[in-house]
Amino acid sequence: MLANNKKLKPPFNYKTIVLVLLIFFIFIFSFQRVGMPDIVDRLYEVTLDVIGLKETSKISEGLSRISDEMWPPAIETKKDINLILNFDASNLPFYSYIENQKVQLYETNIETLELESREEEVLFLVEPFGYLKVVIIKIIESIEIAFWASFIALIISIPLAFYSAKNYTPNRIVYYLSRSIVSGLRAIPELISVLFMVLAFGFGPAAGIMALGLHSAGFLGKFFAEDIENADKGPQEALQALGSSRWRIIKEAVLPQIMPQYIAYILYILDRNLRMATVIGLVGGGGIGQELKGRFDLFEYGHVTTIIIVIFIVVFIFDQISAKLRNKLIGNSS
Amino acid sequence: MVYPLLKIESVSKIYPGNVLALNNVNINIDDNEIIAILGSSGSGKSTLIRTILGLTALNYGNIFFRNNNYKDKNYKMIRNSVATIYQNFNLVTRSSIIKNIILGDIAKVSSWRVLFNLWPKETINKAIDIIEEVGLNNIDCNKRVENLSGGQQQRVGIARALISAPDIILADEPVSNLDPQTARDILRLIRETAKKNKISVLCSLHQVDFAKNFADRIIGMKEGNILFDKPAKKILKFDLNKLYK
Repeated sequence: MLANNKKLKPPFNYKTIVLVLLIFFIFIFSFQRVGMPDIVDRLYEVTLDVIGLKETSKISEGLSRISDEMWPPAIETKKDINLILNFDASNLPFYSYIENQKVQLYETNIETLELESREEEVLFLVEPFGYLKVVIIKIIESIEIAFWASFIALIISIPLAFYSAKNYTPNRIVYYLSRSIVSGLRAIPELISVLFMVLAFGFGPAAGIMALGLHSAGFLGKFFAEDIENADKGPQEALQALGSSRWRIIKEAVLPQIMPQYIAYILYILDRNLRMATVIGLVGGGGIGQELKGRFDLFEYGHVTTIIIVIFIVVFIFDQISAKLRNKLIGNSS
Repeated sequence: MVYPLLKIESVSKIYPGNVLALNNVNINIDDNEIIAILGSSGSGKSTLIRTILGLTALNYGNIFFRNNNYKDKNYKMIRNSVATIYQNFNLVTRSSIIKNIILGDIAKVSSWRVLFNLWPKETINKAIDIIEEVGLNNIDCNKRVENLSGGQQQRVGIARALISAPDIILADEPVSNLDPQTARDILRLIRETAKKNKISVLCSLHQVDFAKNFADRIIGMKEGNILFDKPAKKILKFDLNKLYK
């Protein structure tokens, strides 16, 4: 027996080889099934296209349909003043002007039944940054959705966390109940739950807020609960020995310990919700996504570019701010 | 009739797996008495302190605090009169020095004051006096405990024990994480403040020379049994040999 104890375990045995072969076959099988060969083909083709060995490629054909229209990004709005209700030329919107433009109009001549074109001068109200303004208003709505969703997540997750932390749950039934609520909330992706929320709350931000809020409450609940369970027991025991009640122990010995992680989680959830808030609009959750979907369906790719740039800038700025905040709040300086 | 401050009567504690941590332990502690419990690791020192605090339930025997039996589960009264100093300090490290000291009085402050951090003026003043008493007066009292040295942290621990004006301080190996010089200083501080404020001390230690200088009375424990219980001056080499054999 002693000799056995002193023998070094071999680095691999027949099990390892079987496992590697199994993974290899699954890999090959799945590679065919999901169309990976197609990806390789097309990437190869587009490489040849780029270096000039081939005339066209499927990728460049596909993208060229919209790439010409995507640039420049649409920033201004131009409206025929005849279509604006109660238009008042003496009281124009801020930073806008009226432009006189010749427009080709086509009409069918009833007698000859031929299409005739004629030129007509039409007055347009031009707002040079009009569309940018629309996008900014919409992205602000998305930011608001993210904030409210995170707030709702916070409110729901704090009691859930204490009920699903082993050392603070009142009893086992409550523990398992809240644990299953936490994992249930996390299990449903927000893009799916927003479909149900649209039925419940109608199209618009409310549905988005509820879908994002419930999903991220699942995340926060789990993270918080684990932190409460792992918090240093020493100070908690010290306060217990001083005759302190449970909630006082939570407030004075648990919360100060877990607060830095809480703040980090909340910032992460806020960051994540902001990115998701731009997406859930695609399925009726309000915010910038709704605008993006609308423009994409109308083939207005210049507008789509503007929206994507604005989303990128906002997400980037927020990322920077939250990284700074996290460092400042969690940093070890007193 | 005058009752002892703390009377430990035939106490036994068996941990799961038939581990006998305390075997028929009898100790009487009077007011103003400074007692050291000596013993190697696993001798039952910490268990004894935990049972006195009511953190570990005892299997047999009784503990009386001024003739109130622990069996009545009246821990609140006991915990209000007992303060503890720990080996690992057990401080809320992300809170300030003064906050940690004030927490010693947490059970005596009303709920809404705790909730909104509105600590009573007299508690804060008491804490500031105690900071001076334990020799932390040259440190900013708003500094976080995590930025202090081990010795300083234990001083905060002592201050937290003193603020509740306890009848007895239980110290569970308060100096085993400190260097010898700091350990001596800390033990001297505990002894001096206890004598000055007329507090009894029950302190577990495993260094014999510390115990002899620190305590009036030394109890030797081995494998859950009390081997000797004598005034510090009457401890013989024979006793210590029995203890560490």
